[in-house]
Amino acid sequence: MIDPVTYMLTLIILCMVVNLGIALYGIFFRPSLVKKIIAVTILGDTANTFAIMLGYRRWLSPEKPSIPPVLLNYANATKEALAEFSARAVDPLPQALVLTAIVIGLAVTLFLVFLTLQIHRLYGTTDVREIRKLRG
Amino acid sequence: MIDPQVLVLGIGALAALASVVAVYFAVIERNLVRAVVFSAIQSTLYALLYYILMAPDIVLVYVPVAVGLYPAVILFLISKTEREEKP
Amino acid sequence: MKHAIAVLSIVLFVLAMSLLLTVAGGLYIPSISVRPLAELYLNTTYNPWNREFTALSPEGVTAIVWDYRGLDTVFETTVFYLAIIASIAIARGIRKYSALPGKELGLSLIVRTVTRITTTLIVAVAISIALHGHLTPGGGFQGGATAAVAPLLILVAFSHYFLLKRGVSKDLMLVIRSLGLAGIGIVAIATYLVAVASGLPGFVLQNQPKPLSPVNLPAYLGGQLISGTLWFFNIFEFFAVMAGFTIVFLLLAIPERIARGGGEK
Repeated sequence: MIDPVTYMLTLIILCMVVNLGIALYGIFFRPSLVKKIIAVTILGDTANTFAIMLGYRRWLSPEKPSIPPVLLNYANATKEALAEFSARAVDPLPQALVLTAIVIGLAVTLFLVFLTLQIHRLYGTTDVREIRKLRG
Repeated sequence: MIDPQVLVLGIGALAALASVVAVYFAVIERNLVRAVVFSAIQSTLYALLYYILMAPDIVLVYVPVAVGLYPAVILFLISKTEREEKP
Repeated sequence: MKHAIAVLSIVLFVLAMSLLLTVAGGLYIPSISVRPLAELYLNTTYNPWNREFTALSPEGVTAIVWDYRGLDTVFETTVFYLAIIASIAIARGIRKYSALPGKELGLSLIVRTVTRITTTLIVAVAISIALHGHLTPGGGFQGGATAAVAPLLILVAFSHYFLLKRGVSKDLMLVIRSLGLAGIGIVAIATYLVAVASGLPGFVLQNQPKPLSPVNLPAYLGGQLISGTLWFFNIFEFFAVMAGFTIVFLLLAIPERIARGGGEK
């Protein structure tokens, strides 16, 4: 007997693996530098999704779904509410690491965009094959 | 009676499958503007997936960055360089 | 047609392969419990009965970003700083640019009116996200990234000179970003300085009192929970991220004709 929840989670992970492969193909085999930048952003997002997938946790029961790591109603929290929170919330550590990684990734991508712009200003093309010819 | 967890994760799995299609066209497409649009579609599906994986913080940072800023910046870049990828 | 077959085969491969892997059971799949480290974080992120280890923030992610793993985030901010500086360094040849006289730039009137309304809303939402980062999902990174959408919309709808005429220049944004980064540094060593001044042991990036060091920033300000350093970190990071991205967009929106000419004399 196949567990449908396991099947769904496996499907999500495998889709991410396929995305990783397509993005790597884009980085290595497409000639345009702009296309390479697009593929690099897809690669980074897919890696982040793997990290979030590591922190996911299954539902305890249909009435008790897993919750984000945010404690609601904190002002009059009791010890029982706290115990239930830590029994149901997902892992916050991968989310905290991914959070900074996305913003830093955007900053690094902006740097790549400026590099590509400068290459186009100097050589008049963004095609790596022509740039290779120009440099000898 | 279907398990609600299967329904919720099923939406996530559908989003992941659709993102595979979007990534394929984003990498294959020769017209760079359309490639950026496919990349934005992929980002939207990833945002839905993050929401289903219980990460509202990531959704809040991912939607403006990957749906708003990335495509705009790359469209700026395309408008200043080349529109088509040569075969 | 070729693409349709390729997509169909990829999707079928994923569906069949995951079925196979489910039966074989060889893949890492999330289970009903999380790792012990995550249990520790979830137990202590807001725990008034365990004051020696808690961060006093109901939001687990912000507590990890700025308290438990604060040093990581400070160095991530350094990487962000260096990436923006590198972008500015590449665009350094452009010196001066001013408004073209008597020429209406930008998109149509409808777009500009809508942009006026939505940018206000975007900035308001971004500030709300940043200020409530320690209570609800959000924080400095999220708020800063959201607020950076507003100058980008203005650049597209109104042109580059609209912002320059109103004083939003690269230099002003550099000053705001430097103030934000300096604020992060000051808050990081604030408790340490207090501890040194009062002759007690203290730590860098300390938030709440620890067993060895009893000093802390106040967790409540006027009866409202601000979680010590987290609130200040979020505010300063908001300014650093927002201003940093705005600098790069301002440089990116300079027309290519002016950028190649090296600016006016």
